[in-house]
Amino acid sequence: MLEALIIFIGLALLFGLFLGYASVRFKVEGNPVAESIDKILPQTQCGQCGYPGCKPYAEALADEEAEVNLCIPGGHEVMIQISEITGLEPKEMEVTEEAEKPKETAYINEDLCIGCVLCIKECPVDAILGATKLMHTVIQQECTGCEKCVPVCPVDCIDMKPIPLSTRNWKWPEPDETLISEAKPGKNH
Amino acid sequence: MSFFAKIIEKISPIYPQAKRWLYSFHGGVFPQYRKELSSRQPIRDTIIPERLIMPLQQQVGQPAELLVKVGEKVKKNQLIARSSKDAKKALVVPIHAPTSGVIQEIASYTLPHPSGLEDIAIIIKPDHQNDCLDNFLKVSGEAPNTPQQLKDVLLNAGIVGMGGAGFPTYAKIPNEQGKIHTLMINGAECEPFITCDDLLMQTEAEAIIQGALITAKALGSTKVLCGIESNKPTAIKAMNKAAKGTIVEIIQVQTVYPMGAQKQLTKELTGIEMPHKAHAVDIGLLMMNVATFASIYKAVTFGEPLTSRLVSVTGLGLAKPFNMRVLIGTPFEELANLAEPKSKLDYPLVMGGPMMGFAVQNNQVPVIKTTNCILANPPEPAEMQMPCIRCGECMDACPVNLLPQQMYWYSHSHEFDKVEKLNIFDCIECGCCSYVCPSHIPLVQYYRHAKSEIKEIHAEEKAVELAKQRHEFRLARIEREKQEREARIKAKKDAVKKQAASASKDTSKNKPKPSAAAAAAAAAAKVAAAKRAAGKNTLMQNTAHTENKQTAMPAARRKAIEAAKQAANQANSGDKPAKSPKEVAKNAAMAAAKKRAQAKKAAAANDTELNKSSTDNTTVKKDPKQAAKAAAMAAAKKHAQAKKAQQANSQTLDLTETTKDSTASKKEDARKAAIQAASVAAKKRRVASENKENEPKTETSTTDKKQKAMQTAKANAMKKAAERGAKKRANHQVSEQAQHNSEERN
Amino acid sequence: MNTFNPSSSPFTHNNQNVRKVMLKVQIAAFPALLMHVYLFGYGIVVQWLLALTTLLVVEYVMLKMRGRPVLPFITDMSGLITITGLVFCIPPLAPWWIIVLGSTFALIFGKHLYGGLGYNPFNPAMLGYVFLLISFPVQMTQWILPLDLAGQTLDFIQSAHYIFIGQIPGFNLDAITGATPLNSLRTGLSQGVSVIQTLQNKDVSMLFGLSGWEWVNVAFVVGGIGLIITRSISWQFPVGFLGALALVSFIFNQINPELYPSVGFTLLNGGTMLAAFFIITDPVTASTTPKGRFIYACGIGILVYVIRNWGAFPDGIAFAILLMNIAVPLIDQYTQPRVFGHKV
Repeated sequence: MLEALIIFIGLALLFGLFLGYASVRFKVEGNPVAESIDKILPQTQCGQCGYPGCKPYAEALADEEAEVNLCIPGGHEVMIQISEITGLEPKEMEVTEEAEKPKETAYINEDLCIGCVLCIKECPVDAILGATKLMHTVIQQECTGCEKCVPVCPVDCIDMKPIPLSTRNWKWPEPDETLISEAKPGKNH
Repeated sequence: MSFFAKIIEKISPIYPQAKRWLYSFHGGVFPQYRKELSSRQPIRDTIIPERLIMPLQQQVGQPAELLVKVGEKVKKNQLIARSSKDAKKALVVPIHAPTSGVIQEIASYTLPHPSGLEDIAIIIKPDHQNDCLDNFLKVSGEAPNTPQQLKDVLLNAGIVGMGGAGFPTYAKIPNEQGKIHTLMINGAECEPFITCDDLLMQTEAEAIIQGALITAKALGSTKVLCGIESNKPTAIKAMNKAAKGTIVEIIQVQTVYPMGAQKQLTKELTGIEMPHKAHAVDIGLLMMNVATFASIYKAVTFGEPLTSRLVSVTGLGLAKPFNMRVLIGTPFEELANLAEPKSKLDYPLVMGGPMMGFAVQNNQVPVIKTTNCILANPPEPAEMQMPCIRCGECMDACPVNLLPQQMYWYSHSHEFDKVEKLNIFDCIECGCCSYVCPSHIPLVQYYRHAKSEIKEIHAEEKAVELAKQRHEFRLARIEREKQEREARIKAKKDAVKKQAASASKDTSKNKPKPSAAAAAAAAAAKVAAAKRAAGKNTLMQNTAHTENKQTAMPAARRKAIEAAKQAANQANSGDKPAKSPKEVAKNAAMAAAKKRAQAKKAAAANDTELNKSSTDNTTVKKDPKQAAKAAAMAAAKKHAQAKKAQQANSQTLDLTETTKDSTASKKEDARKAAIQAASVAAKKRRVASENKENEPKTETSTTDKKQKAMQTAKANAMKKAAERGAKKRANHQVSEQAQHNSEERN
Repeated sequence: MNTFNPSSSPFTHNNQNVRKVMLKVQIAAFPALLMHVYLFGYGIVVQWLLALTTLLVVEYVMLKMRGRPVLPFITDMSGLITITGLVFCIPPLAPWWIIVLGSTFALIFGKHLYGGLGYNPFNPAMLGYVFLLISFPVQMTQWILPLDLAGQTLDFIQSAHYIFIGQIPGFNLDAITGATPLNSLRTGLSQGVSVIQTLQNKDVSMLFGLSGWEWVNVAFVVGGIGLIITRSISWQFPVGFLGALALVSFIFNQINPELYPSVGFTLLNGGTMLAAFFIITDPVTASTTPKGRFIYACGIGILVYVIRNWGAFPDGIAFAILLMNIAVPLIDQYTQPRVFGHKV
């Protein structure tokens, strides 16, 4: 009886010391939660979550100050990932994207543009080029498709257009599975 | 044939896969070749179709730049679309008119591409005159001596890899001579049905060998190996004949699919296994198709651009398959109809062979530079796709030794990271796995899909990273701008304050002071302006930078950020001089004030002494009041004069200091001086106050006396006395402030 | 998106399909089946027909319930291989409900519940066999003696009669039933009789001094070699399995022949050859990489020997296979072949 007690107390002490040492020795600097959330966010910097960008939203999530379902461009998938990282309860998206629309980028109708620089100020990634009274243009490769510039344009000359399909960005479609009757294995589990 | 090979030959009827032991790479399949369909027919004469469709992009890379207009007349070999002059736009290959005629239309046409997408094409209506521009490339006929010369000719001739991949040949060739030690000629043609390379080797062996020798000479290669599959004995004979006495060595290789794949044939010919992700060029090897060498020969010797190629028109659906030297741009259907289709061509034709080709969306698509075969196989009832039974046939057949079945599982469940870990990018999409799959799973399509998905995921990751960087950069920029604005406003405010302070001083004082303040303010403003300019500069750099195309984005971005940082630093360092004029002005002002205070103190001390003496005088002699008064007056006058002189001095000092303020040492000196002055002043004040306490009586009496004296002095020099009083107060304040400031600064 | 849905190359095929592969395996089992009939009578045929009926009913019901097309999957022949494997494992005169229960269990729990063909982690036949062995040990150990020992075999009617009713009028069944060599070895050892003695008692009257059981195994080898030649199975399975089993039994036989039987006896008794060529070669549940297949087969070989000699069951093949089935994902993970152009 006594031996058992001593052994277990000894073990408890030993493990306690070990855990204590480990917590000091392998301490993680910074806020890894915010960083890992920031990594999965789509980085459109659209601000639709109510935070000024993806990082602030990630930080708010890490501090458990924000809901998990605010990232609209990320959609359901990102929401699930966020709730996995933060351990917060997953919530249905309030605003659902209409059926997975393909990525779009902003185009400025250069005939209409009056050079007001409003969109330049709005763009979260500085993807719009131009100066006062000069026509603006969007650097397509840098546009995240956040649509922030669309409402601010006073002459409504910004359109969101899907990226044109060419042989250079064409993707092989997935094989048609109507023939295969043993469809997705995941459904059977 | 070795003894071992003979044994295998004997075994193969019982165990066909025994043939796999005869070559050096893993896997491979032995499909029904059906090459006899077209190889037994002689090459037919070229036809000139009703119209030629010339897509601007026929190869890997970017589309060519249009050079002609609708209605323009062109001659055979005339350049109709050129490679870009922009050096950055790599992999652009010019297009030449295959025959003479009129440009009928420039419009979007369906491309011979698996996607079935449309792109801009030039439509030529041939005039059947076939007016030709001879030696269009203006070559001397001499073989080039350096790789660069050869590359120029190849680029101008519009030659691309004609085996199927269509990589621009000029881009394949390294710039350094001697880098390629072994040149390889790919005459394996392992795809079933296709015989165009076989026929080319039979008929134009000389051109192929010459083309290879030209290339070998230009590149400084010492070894030329030519691999031909054993099922083309006539071609081997012809090539051996042509190669006699040259450095070209003809090697017969096993008939197995995919022997003609670059890596596999390289291993078979040289025993070298090309490392993962490395290009053949990196290890001193270069392989080209026989047809490519033949067109190199024609371009270098006769100046003929690539406008036609040998194409097999074959398939089970055609009664009279054939090979023909076809003009680039000839529609598929026209050729297929020449071969007398057994049934109506209501099924899609296939470009390329049955293993790696693709069904075209529209049978009107044109022959392009990479079209080696037009295949018309009537559709067969498709076997039903069954679940994978993990039989491993695909793995045994894979020439790259991948695990096709595991890649399929992960592709199917969209776990693309795992697919990538299984080295899917080493997959050559040869189709062996799908060919042997008993479950009829379209494995290759799964891999193609997975590959494009993975590529997109990576592109997306990059885009996300870019967006993040740009956003953070923007936030930093906004923050910096804000700070700069605040600094600017502060500077302005300070300047205004100074001005106000000096103005209040100046109300009763001499003139040079305001000018000094103005100078200080002007300097501050200038610096602020400079700063603003610097800020603008960074902005301009930003915008200028953003104009940079995305090609070298990350590097460019880093550079830009660095530049911005530098600019910010400059702005910061600019801040110092910006502050300094203010500070210096302030310091100078304070120093001056202090000096004045000192002088005044000294004067006051003098005064008191004088007063004392005068009081003594008065106490001793009551009569000579007048004299005392006079003396006092004289003393006051003297002081006033001295002070004036001093003031003038300090003023000039001030001025010189404010004008010379730019150097840091001066500024530092001034500050030190100011501090010293301030401390000295403080000490003096203390001493003075002590004195005051020690001699209250005399003080009062002296003050009385002094006042009297002053009054008289006032009477005589009213203005100066008033000034002195005012100054005394002001100076006191200023010196105190200066001390305070110096303390704060310290 | 483009509506055009391109079909990918290749546009040709070697005309192989799942049905043909399965059929080849089934055909390769015929020599053994015939040998079995010759030596043990028609019991196995009755059992096989019973199993086939069960197969059709179970498959139909399950496919309907799972909402899958019935015809292509009922004719994929994979179930046939499963029941054939099972039929060879159970005593030829076991009551009818044994095989019905066994096949039903094997098909439902071994295959359909995991998602059907291609998705099952465990070999269905072995799962069914283990289920029967654990649940009905008595029925599962009553083996008929082969022709050479019993002197006669039962014809089709007699077998059917016995299987369905449990007795044959005017026939003493005890005369032709008995223990299998593996069983008698085990009993002998437990009674302190050495292996050599037990085997000496055996009346070897057949060709080449092989017992009836051993002849069935030989027939399996014949069919199995055919399968290797037609590339229906990989050579790594039989080579690895038999090699490992032979090696281990050779070592122990050298150490103590009193306790451990010889290599020949080990390889030709029990379900060794059935397993080597027909059971462990089931690709769905086996490892898929070449090296992995070899390791998998070796593992089964060693486990079989361990269970036979030190375990509670006379023949450990089913357990050995199921145990190695569990290890397959791990084996696959660590035996990936070197990809062309990659360093090891």
